[in-house]
Amino acid sequence: MSRITLKVAGESGMGLASVGDILARTLKVMGFYVHMDREYPSLIKGGHSNLQIDFGPKKIHSLSKDIDLVIALDRAGLVEYLNTVKRGGVLVHGYERAHMIKDLEETAHKRGVKLVYLPAREIAYSYGGNELMTNVVLLGLLWRVLGFDLDPLEEEVKRRYGKKPKILEIDLKCLDHAYNTDEIKTPKYDIKVPKSKPDTILLDGNRALALGAIHAGVRAYYAYPMSPSSSILTYMSQYADETGVLVKQVEDEISVAQMAVGSMFMGTRALCATSGGGLDLMTETISLAAMTETPFVVINCQRPGPATGLPTWTSQGDLNMAIHSAHGEFPRCVMAVSDPESSFELIQHALNIAEEYQIPVIVLSEKVICETKTMVEPFEQNKIPIKRGLVTAPKELAELTPQDRFKITKDGISKRWVPGSSPAYFHANSDEHKEDGVLTEDGDEALEMINKRLRKGDTLLKNLPEPKVHGPAKADISFVSWGSSKCTLLDAQEALKEEGITMNFLHYDYLWPVKTKKAKEFFKNNKQVHLIEGNAGGQFGEILEAKAKVEFSDKLLKYNGRPFFLEDVISYVHKHVK
Amino acid sequence: MSCCGKNQRDVIETLEKRKKDYMALESKEKLTWCSGCGNYGIQKAIERALVLEDIKQQDLVMCFDIGCNGNGSDKINTTTFHGLHGRIISAAAGAAIANTKMQVLAEAGDGATFSEGPNHLIHGVRNNYPMTFIFHNNENYGLTTGQASAMTRMGQKMNATPDGVVVKPMNACKFVLSLEPTFVARTFSGDIDHMTEIFRLAMNHKGFAFVEVFQMCPTYNKHTTQTWFEERIIDLSTMKGYDKHNIKHAMEAAEDIEKEIKVGILYEDKKSVPYQELLESRKTKKTELVDEVKHVDITKFINKQK
Ligand SMILES: Cc1ncc(C[n+]2csc(CCOP(=O)(O)OP(=O)(O)O)c2C)c(N)n1
Ligand code: SF4
Ligand SMILES: [Mg+2]
Repeated sequence: MSRITLKVAGESGMGLASVGDILARTLKVMGFYVHMDREYPSLIKGGHSNLQIDFGPKKIHSLSKDIDLVIALDRAGLVEYLNTVKRGGVLVHGYERAHMIKDLEETAHKRGVKLVYLPAREIAYSYGGNELMTNVVLLGLLWRVLGFDLDPLEEEVKRRYGKKPKILEIDLKCLDHAYNTDEIKTPKYDIKVPKSKPDTILLDGNRALALGAIHAGVRAYYAYPMSPSSSILTYMSQYADETGVLVKQVEDEISVAQMAVGSMFMGTRALCATSGGGLDLMTETISLAAMTETPFVVINCQRPGPATGLPTWTSQGDLNMAIHSAHGEFPRCVMAVSDPESSFELIQHALNIAEEYQIPVIVLSEKVICETKTMVEPFEQNKIPIKRGLVTAPKELAELTPQDRFKITKDGISKRWVPGSSPAYFHANSDEHKEDGVLTEDGDEALEMINKRLRKGDTLLKNLPEPKVHGPAKADISFVSWGSSKCTLLDAQEALKEEGITMNFLHYDYLWPVKTKKAKEFFKNNKQVHLIEGNAGGQFGEILEAKAKVEFSDKLLKYNGRPFFLEDVISYVHKHVK
Repeated sequence: MSCCGKNQRDVIETLEKRKKDYMALESKEKLTWCSGCGNYGIQKAIERALVLEDIKQQDLVMCFDIGCNGNGSDKINTTTFHGLHGRIISAAAGAAIANTKMQVLAEAGDGATFSEGPNHLIHGVRNNYPMTFIFHNNENYGLTTGQASAMTRMGQKMNATPDGVVVKPMNACKFVLSLEPTFVARTFSGDIDHMTEIFRLAMNHKGFAFVEVFQMCPTYNKHTTQTWFEERIIDLSTMKGYDKHNIKHAMEAAEDIEKEIKVGILYEDKKSVPYQELLESRKTKKTELVDEVKHVDITKFINKQK
């Protein structure tokens, strides 16, 4: 067994999340690698949603489409998800209406899916439990089908509900009943429990971003809630009291961006995050940051647009916007995270780049990264130094002049200092200006300053790292990727290897300005290079084709709000590698 | 009209003594306002207030919106931030809470404050950010050549409204007073002494100080002129029984912007607590956000995810 895919399905607000959390943590404690995502509509209660857990003995990077086991918490879960279970799979439920069940049993039979049923509600109530505790009965039933010892699950339930002994007692009775009853016969998986337990942490990309930001010395975080960025605000606020970071839910995204720019200008590290619609509102401020050479970092947690789009689903559709939005011509950096590790690290680099180059930096994430909980090694601290590009030496501060602030330099970078730290004042001016920031409308002076700013882009391009090749230098089929598709490609690589197909991919963390040397080599070395992107336009593909003068064999594009599943890549490869 | 006649000699003496500080702020850049523009007086009064309050150039950040008023942003020798139209309150707030040891002043016009960015004003007041906001009310869009603003009087024929403005003007202080502010004042660009005194008090306020300045714009505002105001202005400090700590008095005083226009401190909450001191996470901090940028140990938080 390389991995088992579980789905917990039910109405939003049915206690789905806690069932998922209990499962994920228990499996993790047992030594499995766990990968968990939630699909849900943009409603608080009602509407069916599900939580998917892929687990196995080896690291899992992405989600599968085909499901081994579904635990349906209600009728909707049963009806909607029966068709997602693979042949030979199992669906566990507690739905008691016999007439409906007939049809479903027939469908299940035809599909080769086993239905496992217990009157979960009845059992829960018989122990004095309530509606939500039917979930616990079903959890016990699922655990029985999985064939694991009950102990670790009981331990986790005790850990969670230990503080509420009455509830805990009922929960344990429900679990025990479902697990041990001889009212029914159930199929049983034979899954080897790993011998060793990896030292890992389980978290989603948004928490990794928050942790990276806190670690890198962000002292002010501003945001306006918008899925799927909202949990960064929640996480930051949870860390505020202990770390003293100022966390502010601001009145709108324009103010969010303005406050971030104001704080950065004053000399602290500020950060903000939003989704596409919020970034729209921030664009004028991005332009302001560029003009005043004030560092600015914003995270865009992508979801499909246009407009309100699909608020709780995933996308890579905002790349062009990140690169081109905001008026005027100026250098910026656009980077993309792909998983919790890269979220933790890239946010630190983003802050460094923003401060050293005094430019706006846009960090792209995606709903599937923001909210998927996965297991990674505990983050290494103090690995990425804090680089602020500030003048701090007392002697140098004392000798600064206003003209140093926007001095015309070869690499485009001028000195920056914290207001108040030097007797030298300066004018940060959104009007075109001279070296001390005083307005100018003189054509030559303006041109000099415009070119100085643009040169920062050239310097940045020189200093950015090249993208990384994952896998062998040459392969049967190759991809160019950015963002979350890295995770799917990593899993696909393994799966394809077992079939004797080699696959490699060139992954970009830094999308703009775009590095091309490695890409040119990659295209030369490999006979068919494909694009994989979560948008309709193949946005990055177009940029790379234009900048590196290369041509993709074909493109794997997906833009229905769903992430790339393992099966998407495998079947695409099968089409192209005969 | 002057609120501070008895102090006048002291003021001049102090200015005389601190001539050097005063001159340090004086820029050699040429001011570009029309002749007779109220912005000259405002800039002068701000410089005076700064010197009198002994706020040194190095401890000061001035933030300017886009408009005629903002064109003074690079004509004063101190660190300035000339932002975007309508947005300066939020940018200044972000700056102010990052380093509360610095004096942060923000200035904007009526177009900026009441059309392009009232959201920022509302929440700036509500959050009581530690800053002074000087509202240049010239009752029109000066920089874009005299269009009507939300403050332009009814019937005025303006650029783009040649038949006259058909909606009623807003009353800035009345609006702000509805937000439970902690400091609201009015002054008049025709009286440098009064402005100086009001700015000084505003700079000393802990929290968001809102100061409306009726600013002369002889080029585009031919209606509410210097004389027009001089005939109508009443200084609250001369009004017996006026309690500036009573918001009801303030609301009443703010009401009339046609006949008897009250200037001075309309309202002041002596118990005002600025934003950052309300936060559990910042209350006891002795350092400023700008001093704290370094690696933070997150081991505890990482371990929670195990
Ligand atoms: C986003 C944006 N819209 C429009 C403008 C053009 N604009 C510049 S100043 C201004 C109005 C100025 O009026 P006010 O704020 O009252 O300042 P004043 O010039 O009267 O001092 C406008 C509309 C701009 N700079 N930015
Ligand atoms: S247009 Fe009015 S506000 Fe602008 S500079 Fe001239 S007088 Fe002053
Ligand atoms: Mg105006």
